[in-house]
Amino acid sequence: MRQFFVIAFRNLTSHSGRSLVLGGAIALVTTLVVVMLALTAGIRNRMIENATALSTGHLNVGGFLKISQSSAAPVINRASKLRTLIAETVPEATLVVERVRAYGKIISDENSIMVPMSGIDMAKEETLLGGLALAERGDYIEGDLASDAKPELPGRMMDLAQQGSIVMFASQAKKLKVRVGDTVTISMPTYRNIYNTKDLRVAAILKNLGLISSFTTFINHLDAREVYDLDPDTTGVFQIYLKSIDQVSAVDDRLRKGLSAASYALMEKDANPFWMKFERVAGESWSGQKLDVTDWQDETSFLKWILDIFNALTVALTATLMFIVTVGLVNNMWMSIRERTPEIGTMRALGLQRRGVLVMFLIESCLLAVMSVGAGILIGSGIVGLLNLIDVQISSEAFVMFLMSNSLWLDLQASDLLITFTTLSVLLILGAFIPAYRASKMKPITAINHVN
Amino acid sequence: MDNIQLSNVVKEYHLGKVTVPALKNVSLSIDRGEFTVIAGPSGSGKTTLLNLIGCVDVASSGDVVVGGSNTAQLTERELTDLRLHKIGFIFQSFNLIPVLNVYDNVEFPLLLMKDLSKEERRSRVMHFIEKVGLQDHMKHRPNELSGGQRQRVAIARALVTKPRIVLADEPTANLDSVTGQSIIDLMKEINRSEQTTFLFSTHDDNVIRQANRIIKLRDGVIVAES
Repeated sequence: MRQFFVIAFRNLTSHSGRSLVLGGAIALVTTLVVVMLALTAGIRNRMIENATALSTGHLNVGGFLKISQSSAAPVINRASKLRTLIAETVPEATLVVERVRAYGKIISDENSIMVPMSGIDMAKEETLLGGLALAERGDYIEGDLASDAKPELPGRMMDLAQQGSIVMFASQAKKLKVRVGDTVTISMPTYRNIYNTKDLRVAAILKNLGLISSFTTFINHLDAREVYDLDPDTTGVFQIYLKSIDQVSAVDDRLRKGLSAASYALMEKDANPFWMKFERVAGESWSGQKLDVTDWQDETSFLKWILDIFNALTVALTATLMFIVTVGLVNNMWMSIRERTPEIGTMRALGLQRRGVLVMFLIESCLLAVMSVGAGILIGSGIVGLLNLIDVQISSEAFVMFLMSNSLWLDLQASDLLITFTTLSVLLILGAFIPAYRASKMKPITAINHVN
Repeated sequence: MDNIQLSNVVKEYHLGKVTVPALKNVSLSIDRGEFTVIAGPSGSGKTTLLNLIGCVDVASSGDVVVGGSNTAQLTERELTDLRLHKIGFIFQSFNLIPVLNVYDNVEFPLLLMKDLSKEERRSRVMHFIEKVGLQDHMKHRPNELSGGQRQRVAIARALVTKPRIVLADEPTANLDSVTGQSIIDLMKEINRSEQTTFLFSTHDDNVIRQANRIIKLRDGVIVAES
């Protein structure tokens, strides 16, 4: 076997030009795949990171209260009992926060938008929301900044601790044409189908974090309670944070069983955020309280298409490029076999079995594939590391929307690298199988007498 | 004892609709330790005969028995094993593996045998490399050797498995007369010392004169034996 490796390696090096071109192409494809996978993983992780800070826990226990058949309010009664049950059922939770859920209109002097709102107790959520970056004036003020002499106070996320405050993202501020310090009115239907309103001061405007920014606004939880006219033992959602996202499935299952055992009525699993369920719930015939257990994926399902696009792009690009390099490798093998047909005949005459010829050529393609894919992974990893080190800032709003971040962040996962390495290597080796098999089937006499 | 036995062997090649007879009812036997030449002009069937005895080709009809085995009854795998253990090949164009050096080329068939220890392989390879006088060129690759040296490597490679039969197809055809003579001398010396059967084809009268036995072929038929 050692000799087969020697022969394969020396054959590759003796045709260094050909090997370098093909190996380079394989390495390039691998590099592209690694970068695309890192980009997709980066978006996914940013999505998880942003979503779990802005609008969802790893798991959520929310629900709807229907006092009549056509109403639907995102509130939970007797929250203290549920709080205790959640603490007992999910002891491994690292954090459980309560938010008041609201869905309604924000109205400015110039415009209005429908948006989901979270009623926040800032004292309890500083760790989750304290790190959000404030937008620059240019992010939400249209036109010439230099000529815009209107004074504006710098915003503070922590000002949300004061009642009468609202914090929104730059894209929303831009639509509403508001700045820090301006007043807007929120209006939302309560569970009695009455529209309540309240004036709030813009406490801060945050930098956009992609598409999710358009679906998140923060208000003080006391204001949300006031607008919804909630009593103290009522809340909107329990957002449960776990040590690892991998625990979600098991805890979800346990939580559902625990809630059912405690005689809570549960809504059927619906992989959508709460604000997309109003119409459906209002159309259902039940009344009273039902709980809705969701995970972070359900609450961000409206963003899933972005990941799907990147995944589809990665698969399409990889498949196309893989097809090209596999054809290249197979062609290279055919050339190599043609050139070495008398050599194959000699080896067969000397006593090399057919299987030996097959193994010898497979080793050659394996060496080329493994070295090239390995090089591609190293180069790809290097490029990913370099891009992260440079911290490329994204100015295009369209890219920010897709990438869910203001800077390019790529996330290298060891499992992705392993899968890339294995898949590409195995595909290339399989591609070389047919020429190698044909070579092994040649009769010694035919091979020896072959004239190049 | 018969080492090689051919009975009524026919070999035909089919070129489209045309059938070309290469050997016509050839029968012969060669004993162990013989130094035999198959002589004849080009196209007389010398190489075809060697290919059949060397189990790299099969007869259209008739029996080819090599080292007690009827080759027509052997599977592809068994034929390959027979070549590995009982037959050594020396080719007109040397047919060395270009990416391996002298030592590795000679060692190659031993690696296929799998039942030899590293020390035993080394000892055998060194013995035959010294026997062909190439101990100072062990690390050289074929393209760094002269034609005579390459043929010496081929001889060492053919002998290293200690085969009962060595088949050489015009081994001196690509060599000058002095180098060719040294190769013949070397083969005769090994024939004496190792009791290896040598069967080689040639149309060089100088080489033919040095054989113990001469089989003359013409148009696929044995026309004379001496």
